[in-house]
Amino acid sequence: MVATVLRIRFRVLGNTLSRSPMQLIGFIVGVIGAVWMLFLAGVGFFFVGTLDLDIARAVITAAGAVLTLGWVVGPIFAAGIDTTLDPAKLAPFPMTTRQMMVAITAGGLTGVPGITTAIGSLAVFLVWARYPVAAVAAVVCVPLGVVICVVASRAVAALAAGIGGGRRTREIVGLVGFTLVIFASPLFIGITNALVSASEQGVQLQAVVAGLSWTPIAAAWAVPGDLAAGSWITGLLKLVIAAATLATLWLLWQRSLAASLVGPPSRVATRRRSGSLGWFGVMPSNPVGATWARSLTSWTRDFRYLRQLLLIPFAPVLVLVYSRGDLDGPFFAASGLLVGFFAGILAYTDVSYDGTAFATVLQTGIRGRADRLGRMLGSATVSIPLVLLADVVTLAIVGKWELLPAVIGGSMGLTLVGLGVSAVSSALLVVPTPAPGDSPFKRVPGSTFTMFLAFVLCWALVAVLALPAVIPAVLAIFAGATGAGWVSLAIGLVWGSIVFAGGVLIGGTRFDASAPRLLAQLRMFQGA
Amino acid sequence: MTDIPRDVPQPSALPEAVAPPTSTDSLPAMQLTGLVKHFGQKVAVAGLDLTVPTGSFYGLVGPNGAGKTTTLSMATGLLRPDAGTARIHGVDVWTQPVEAKKLIGNLADGVRLFDRLTGEQLVTYTGMMFGLSRDEVGARTADLLRIMDLTEAAGTPVVDYSAGMTKKVALACALVHAPRLLVLDEPFESVDPVSAANIEDILRGYTASGGTVIVSSHSMDLVQRMCDHVAVIAQGRLLASGTVDEVRGAQTLQDRFVELVGGRHHAEGPQWLRQS
Repeated sequence: MVATVLRIRFRVLGNTLSRSPMQLIGFIVGVIGAVWMLFLAGVGFFFVGTLDLDIARAVITAAGAVLTLGWVVGPIFAAGIDTTLDPAKLAPFPMTTRQMMVAITAGGLTGVPGITTAIGSLAVFLVWARYPVAAVAAVVCVPLGVVICVVASRAVAALAAGIGGGRRTREIVGLVGFTLVIFASPLFIGITNALVSASEQGVQLQAVVAGLSWTPIAAAWAVPGDLAAGSWITGLLKLVIAAATLATLWLLWQRSLAASLVGPPSRVATRRRSGSLGWFGVMPSNPVGATWARSLTSWTRDFRYLRQLLLIPFAPVLVLVYSRGDLDGPFFAASGLLVGFFAGILAYTDVSYDGTAFATVLQTGIRGRADRLGRMLGSATVSIPLVLLADVVTLAIVGKWELLPAVIGGSMGLTLVGLGVSAVSSALLVVPTPAPGDSPFKRVPGSTFTMFLAFVLCWALVAVLALPAVIPAVLAIFAGATGAGWVSLAIGLVWGSIVFAGGVLIGGTRFDASAPRLLAQLRMFQGA
Repeated sequence: MTDIPRDVPQPSALPEAVAPPTSTDSLPAMQLTGLVKHFGQKVAVAGLDLTVPTGSFYGLVGPNGAGKTTTLSMATGLLRPDAGTARIHGVDVWTQPVEAKKLIGNLADGVRLFDRLTGEQLVTYTGMMFGLSRDEVGARTADLLRIMDLTEAAGTPVVDYSAGMTKKVALACALVHAPRLLVLDEPFESVDPVSAANIEDILRGYTASGGTVIVSSHSMDLVQRMCDHVAVIAQGRLLASGTVDEVRGAQTLQDRFVELVGGRHHAEGPQWLRQS
């Protein structure tokens, strides 16, 4: 049964790749990336093997921890979990939950990330070759560690999708889980950085890694090293921890899977009072007002939009982590600019989130200009206050109020330019997105390398077009030319508004011509 | 939108809400000429001509994959044809899309709605998109929700509606701007019999007052009973069209359809599927 399911999985992959050349290119790029990482891992471990045993142990344990976290966090940032073997699709077949889980795990192990992880983890034998005991233990522990990676990623995704009763509860739990996982990685980087700087000050880094080795994410990878060092008891205890981790994850996954298969998410209706129109009662009754109200409703109620807004607090945290907690330097004070950069371009493919409901928009014969303006006003109504809030909060933390005009000028310039670019790009481009209410961990089929390139292009365009506002802001913040801040504020608002208006006009013309094509593509994504 | 009467809100106001007759009335409600659509190698619609007279209740029937949805999408401005023209009351859909779409009320099949909005918000949104005044939108939304038996569910997000309720709210959206032509793709799919009968009444009143309805359906009985005109489409071509009586002759529409389209076979199914 499991073998049959795996054969189907490869057949689906083969069919997808042979049907779409762009997906084939994306796949090949992924494989090249994987081979490159394998090469790095091989070379790295070869040299680690020539080093002291204690260092080798620490490196392998830390690498194992990063690998495990990567499997859990990765799907959100990268392509998402491969849902070719979706439990919902497997449910009609006569297989037990256990068989299904084995099949999904095997599917995870045989994908590109799974194969890369499996081959890469073999590289630890380059280190343990010198320690026969460790090599023998690794024969057990490496597969254990790899399987923990795969099962952990599936279990976390299933839990995030499956907890709770009502749609609303599930969505909120999913959002909270998503937030935790997103912030886990900068925290992890931050902790690592703190450790590195601490070790420079004489604290034993290895002591910290030793502590990490007792945690579920690294235990399996630490066992061979302990045995090689002769610590049999700690080694065996860590083996028990690793086995218990796998068992616990397996049980959690099984429970949520079994529950979601027999009791699909229930329909608990959330209701509004009739007559309560929300934003639709506030906005003017014309196409721009209608689009504005609908866009704003999505930004405030649809969790796919809310997840994007999480990037806004993420930006200053990211800056803080990479500057190693340095609040006095100019970088954290300038993080408002990064927020503006992220916030403006959020709507770069706004039509995608409509899905085939875009047909409703098209049926009304709305003019492109009105559609663009309504959508960008909706995005701006959410992003501009948040960017201003981020500007004020970050400056309040560092207490450099003299930089306020520079930060507001630069960030508003970036936001407005981003909105202008989005007004054009979202009239040209749709990408596959999750349906409303889907798990954030779910991979959306049909993304191609071209779409990624288009995204990078949009970012680059914003960065270039916003230079007139950003350059004086940077001069003010980094070179201390405080007066340039006022220049930045003036240019940011005026030039930003010009780009915004230009984007709406150009995007409107493009939209009039390309809207039917966008709908055809969205229909294709829904069918995919 | 000056051609919409401002004194609309009355119970069951739909027939009165139809735009008054204009000089274009002598033209057919919909005229398709030489429509062609390819999807890659596959020809979905192969040079289709169809004329729908004003005031008719027109059924569009065909087997799965015949090109019904593709044809209706091209006729309503949702899918750009490779060749051919579509005119609604004389207005070309692809050169004057804004004017043409104001005349059309469209219930498309196989597309989502903005289902995070409540039913009331969704109908209001559609009305606002057509530029109706706020009072008018409010009155019409209330009327439509009442007619569709959705008043109770007005404040519930459409995502939590059943399939039938979703069809009904989509129909309400198609009606809110009082179009002169209704294009309904599979309007009765998964709608319960009581709601179907109510919808049928609304549509009959609408055609009686001069509106035109085009429905696509798989149900021959329904088309024979409801429609006065019918067109049979298969493999992207028009096989027959005219009044229902002309097309079916002495047969039932079902039998005539099978005769036209072919593909019926009288087998008992494979041996292994027999239960005794």
